Amino acid sequence: MNIFIAISIGLREISAHKFRAALSMLGIVLGVSSLIATMALTRGIEDGTRKFMQQMGGLEFVSIVPKEPSNSDFDFANLSPGQTLLDADAIRRSANFISHVSPEISFSTAIATEGGGNPERRMVRGIHPDHFVVGMHQLAAGRFLTPLDVERGTRCAVVGETVARYLWPNTPPEQAIGKTILIDSMPFKLVGVLTLYEMESNARFRKSGKSISSRWDPFRKKNESVLIPFTTMFYEFRSGAFPLDSLQTIKLDTLTVRVADLDFFQPALEQVRAILNITHRGVDDFDLETRQDWFDRMESSVRAARLSGGLISAISLVVGGIGIMNIMLASISERVREIGIRLAVGARQRDIFWQILIESILVSLLGGFVGIAASLGLIEILKAISPTENVPVLTFDAIFLALGFAVFAGLFSGLYPAAKASGIDPITALRYE
Amino acid sequence: MSLIHLEGLSKVYRVGDQEIQALRGIDLRIEEGEFISIIGSSGSGKSTLMHLLGCLDTPTSGRMEICGKDLAKATGDELARVRNREIGFVFQAFNLLPKLDVVSNIALPLIYAGVSNSQRLARAKQVAADVGLGDRLSNRPSQLSGGQCQRVAIARALVNNPRILFADEPTGNLDSATGRMILEMFESLHASGKTVVLVTHDPVVAAHSKRVIEIRDGEITREYTP
Repeated sequence: MNIFIAISIGLREISAHKFRAALSMLGIVLGVSSLIATMALTRGIEDGTRKFMQQMGGLEFVSIVPKEPSNSDFDFANLSPGQTLLDADAIRRSANFISHVSPEISFSTAIATEGGGNPERRMVRGIHPDHFVVGMHQLAAGRFLTPLDVERGTRCAVVGETVARYLWPNTPPEQAIGKTILIDSMPFKLVGVLTLYEMESNARFRKSGKSISSRWDPFRKKNESVLIPFTTMFYEFRSGAFPLDSLQTIKLDTLTVRVADLDFFQPALEQVRAILNITHRGVDDFDLETRQDWFDRMESSVRAARLSGGLISAISLVVGGIGIMNIMLASISERVREIGIRLAVGARQRDIFWQILIESILVSLLGGFVGIAASLGLIEILKAISPTENVPVLTFDAIFLALGFAVFAGLFSGLYPAAKASGIDPITALRYE
Repeated sequence: MSLIHLEGLSKVYRVGDQEIQALRGIDLRIEEGEFISIIGSSGSGKSTLMHLLGCLDTPTSGRMEICGKDLAKATGDELARVRNREIGFVFQAFNLLPKLDVVSNIALPLIYAGVSNSQRLARAKQVAADVGLGDRLSNRPSQLSGGQCQRVAIARALVNNPRILFADEPTGNLDSATGRMILEMFESLHASGKTVVLVTHDPVVAAHSKRVIEIRDGEITREYTP
């Protein structure tokens, strides 16, 4: 018997008992649709998390933070100059696994437009051009600060979108370029405006017309940036604080580096540690902070979500499979005579076996297709319920995986009924009423 | 060589601890083209004999050759093949599939013979016309009379062009006029060269054949020509 005949017999049998078939498909429909929806949902969360991690600066970023020297180092802790530009220069020169080094000093002061309009207090940060890469910045208009700005100590400034919008409301970033910004009453020329950084969910929240002020925004610090050259910052605002400070000895507020290649992440950390041990004269007064743990936690929570969703779907697929088995067994005891007749006219046991098995697979396959359709609806409902969370992402892998599981459930649950049907004795079956 | 050759054929059924000797050493030869009746009361073993001859079952001991093949120890697949190619069955209760129309019922054996779709339909229509059901092709069995149902069953038995036709009480569910018509069909099939084996309890029905074997308690007790 060829497979197409078996399929057509199976389809005829299913269409002869539509309601029964629909009932037995139900478990598969639920299993497939929930599996696809869960996968789409976790995929959405995963994508959102990845994007967020990327926007926050990826794994490549390592902060060097000061720490209290241990008691055993206490006596000679003063020998260490602490975190200075010396560290930054040493790392930049000697650590070949590090691609970018961003030292930073900051100063909180009032900023305003020319003529003192829209004054507000902001953290102003003196930076190096590497900050563009380390801070994962993008420009909406203008240019970023250049090595020349740092070398000459120019009075140029780059501000974040929030700052620009506050200072010059209703002015597009392109037109704000070239305007004068007063920082602690000193005029600076605005050379660049950064793009608005926001999470996908916040973006959609904003587009839906609601106020986003109450929402948590991890990009707030970036959007509120006021950036000027490191040297300008030192000479204009910071040199007077401690008369002994020089450009080379002033303590940095932050020092962040970017690892060139994640494959050499640990060697890069070792390099930085070795260099800092020299510049800090052996005093253990610094720590390297990586985002590894943070990212690992995010990844593992996504994995947990996927696992629990998958588990629920797997259970409903198993239940669906049992449902099919149940119906197939009922259908066989109803069709004993038919099986007897088929055997009498020359069907082999394996013909009967395949007929029942294929019918079972067909039921689950149809259930799978209905489940795919249902999952599309389910995803739409999810979007409607929470439009601002991560968008579920429907992938073909998910569809094929779910369909594969459905077919497997049908195959598995059809085996026993098929074996039972093919074991029917033709003589008994022909006498069966 | 005989078409059917039985030697010392016996069949023992086990029901619980009890052994029931359904057949005790049957010796029988049936030649190609014969029209033979096997007659016996219920419990005589005639049904058991027909199941063995029809390759639905295997004997406990003895020799059984059908169409030149030794089938005493045949596997299920071998028996299925003989049922499909060499044997046509006609049952008392017709045994048609109620969900299928006349053509599909007739074509059923061809599915398991691996005949292609178009050939299957053509052949089934041809045989349906031969038994006088050419205008009933798309009817369901429930829409047919008993005589028509039995003709569908005969058409199904003939569709693979088998050498032997088995009929188990083919007139049992029919009124006498229709029964006579069906028996005339068997006579004409015999006249056209088919080997026909009729199993019945009714000597009047058996009288249509050319040779009668009488079975009682699992043994052949009498053989006569009506």
